Amino acid sequence: MITIKDLTKEYKTKKGTVTGVDHVNLTVNEGEVFGIVGYSGAGKSSLLRCMNLLELPTSGKIEVDGLDLTKLKGEALRKARLKIGMIFQHFYLISQKTVAENIAFALRAANTPKEKMESRVLELLDMVGLSEKKDVFPAQLSGGQKQRVGIARALANNPSVLLCDEATSALDPKTTLSILRLLKKINRELNITIVLITHEMNVVKEICDRMAIMQAGRVIEEGPVYEIFSSPKAELTKEFISSVVSFDVPSAILEQVSGCIVKVMFKGSLAGEGVISDTVQQFDVRGNFLHGSIEYIQEIPLGLFLMEIQGHPDNIARALTYMEGRGAQVEVIRNGH
Amino acid sequence: MGIDFQHIIELGPDILKAFGQTMYMIGVSLTIAIIIGLPLGIVLFVTDRGLFMENRFIKSTLGFVVNMVRSIPFIILLVALIPLTKLIVDSTIGPAAASVSLSVAAIPFFARIVETSLREIDKGVIEAAVAVGATPWMIIKDVLLPEAKPSIVQGVTMTIISLVAYSAMAGVVGGGGIGDLAIRFGYYRYDNAIMIVTVVILIVLVQIIQQLGDWTSKAIDKR
Repeated sequence: MITIKDLTKEYKTKKGTVTGVDHVNLTVNEGEVFGIVGYSGAGKSSLLRCMNLLELPTSGKIEVDGLDLTKLKGEALRKARLKIGMIFQHFYLISQKTVAENIAFALRAANTPKEKMESRVLELLDMVGLSEKKDVFPAQLSGGQKQRVGIARALANNPSVLLCDEATSALDPKTTLSILRLLKKINRELNITIVLITHEMNVVKEICDRMAIMQAGRVIEEGPVYEIFSSPKAELTKEFISSVVSFDVPSAILEQVSGCIVKVMFKGSLAGEGVISDTVQQFDVRGNFLHGSIEYIQEIPLGLFLMEIQGHPDNIARALTYMEGRGAQVEVIRNGH
Repeated sequence: MGIDFQHIIELGPDILKAFGQTMYMIGVSLTIAIIIGLPLGIVLFVTDRGLFMENRFIKSTLGFVVNMVRSIPFIILLVALIPLTKLIVDSTIGPAAASVSLSVAAIPFFARIVETSLREIDKGVIEAAVAVGATPWMIIKDVLLPEAKPSIVQGVTMTIISLVAYSAMAGVVGGGGIGDLAIRFGYYRYDNAIMIVTVVILIVLVQIIQQLGDWTSKAIDKR
């Protein structure tokens, strides 16, 4: 759906040239939700804004739905943008126009016939759950409601792609979740490809199929969200993931325990299958949970446990091998003493 | 110092006529300032760097002309434009003649006010309109003007008040109006009563205009 080839975006400042996006190659498949994660200044926003040419790349190519955007100008570019919806962190609604007028504005950009306008506006409002707010001005809406209007506006002309620029970063956790659910619904029911940028791993965990991590203008890691969560490679990726799956055990506790400390990870359905209790029963070892959690990423469980295992070293070794045999990833943090 | 009310009543018709002339001058020049200054202000804004109709040449040329006119003191503009006035209204005295210079002064003044009002709009709102695929004309009509409307109304108020002050100078070229009355009677004939009456009229006028402007701006603002 979106193919980015060797994209570079440089900014000229008084202090010289700053590279915002540095030779990025990326493919977003049709129908998926793709997340781009990074700290502010990593270039994720620049990259996203290149995808509808709000920012003109310095070099490289961006194809959206088979159309090379970098070759387009004026009217042709405007027409292409009708098919690329975008929502923003700060919503950017026209404050002096009602909710319905804001959506109608987008429809007029596509020359929607007058007689179809009203019904389409109502249809869109119904989809985002704001039917009763039709004639209200944005100032009277909550953040979540404003974002819903933004979404309705972005979807007005049946786009094939929806770009989300930190769409939930200005919202509280509960509202964030409701907006993410709405985005997921749009992705599923309308088959709209979604690209979102965020610095919150929770957002990615909630709705993304695949993700990329950016640092200093480059994509440093890319892949299916579950894979990245279960086996992150880059340091930065691990750091981001630790914001969701944190494994800090107070050192005082670590000093108290004397056994072997292992980190055990279960992927997929295994997380629910009593591997640990089987192990403990079979190998004459004692297990003691120090920390543990099961995260559901795209509704697939990812179990992570920090355990102390006590017993004869041979038994422990066999127990660990057994767990690995059952598909768990085992990492010894500290041997017993 | 006593005020001779009898004297003021005697001059009533003159005062009324002068007031009418002031209103005429302000009305004509304000209308022209809006008709020409509003599009000019919009062009100054949308041709600016990073905006959807960025055009360096137009921006700097218009900017230069606007600054040039604005840098000429009105009293000099009034005299310098006499040939133009003659060409347009076929006369160099009277309110119609004074309206020419007033308009020329008010156009760039109002254009800059419009430009400043448009600059206050969150760039993101304009960008969102660009992203939605709106035409430049749609952005101007449905985003820029509505979003800046409360601020532009304040700008109109400022322009009217400036025109009240400028129109008082029109007396210099025999333009008529309240300022003219003040100069002819109050200044040249040492008629303090007239002087006080004209000043009071101007004060009341400006207060009313400001109040009306504030009220309108607030009433139309949906934020």
